[in-house]
Amino acid sequence: MARAYKCLRPGRVGPFSGYSWPIGEWVEADDAALCVRGVHSCRTEDLPYWLTEELWEIELDGEVRQEHRKLVSERGRLERRVEGWTSSSAAAFAEACAARVQERAARAAGDGAERLAELAGDAAANAAKGAAALVGYIAARAAEVDGGVDGYAEERLAQARWLVSELGLDAG
Amino acid sequence: MLLSEDLTCQELVELVTEYIEGSLLPEDRDRFEQHVVLCDGCAYYLEQMRTTIDVSGSLTEEAIAPEAQEDLLRVFRDWKAG
Repeated sequence: MARAYKCLRPGRVGPFSGYSWPIGEWVEADDAALCVRGVHSCRTEDLPYWLTEELWEIELDGEVRQEHRKLVSERGRLERRVEGWTSSSAAAFAEACAARVQERAARAAGDGAERLAELAGDAAANAAKGAAALVGYIAARAAEVDGGVDGYAEERLAQARWLVSELGLDAG
Repeated sequence: MLLSEDLTCQELVELVTEYIEGSLLPEDRDRFEQHVVLCDGCAYYLEQMRTTIDVSGSLTEEAIAPEAQEDLLRVFRDWKAG
């Protein structure tokens, strides 16, 4: 048994499958409504890539594979919602990301400065809308302008650390 | 996701059938899903496609009124004729 997290749309709906997840019932990977590859979930470090309106803890069973930015398992059971992940905390996450982009843009000089200023504007505008996943993505792209592939990865890890710290998640 | 990995909305539209059929390569599936998380328009488009497939999958030829059949055939013929 393993525990992980699952990002869902309002009403426990899978963002890609449209599947309505029941609470406390095992869902099998071969359910026709799910991805052919199995039940998808996240480790905390994967979360910034998949943020949606609802965040849930999920129990996994059977073979669990670690794939690119996700876990894929044979079975999964939705346990409980992470109550701390709300539109307010999503907005706070977005604002924290936008603030880092602004800092990068403020200290930028040379080739990347104009691009960073543009990204800072995008981040601020979308943070005002509370678009957490999008602002996280913009922040990672800004970090990429600043520090290449490593910068991108570091920014995503910083986002994951924010979520763990602010929401009290189990980083495993 | 680095710049070279990003999918455009146009590319997503071109890949949606393969995505729904589960025939995309895993890395393309990841790129597709990452785009859907970030793009409300494409998320809505995917939802619409699934709904359309569900609804049209339950239709039989007899369930379509003759006038509607004729309209559809005419649209199809015009489309093929360019």
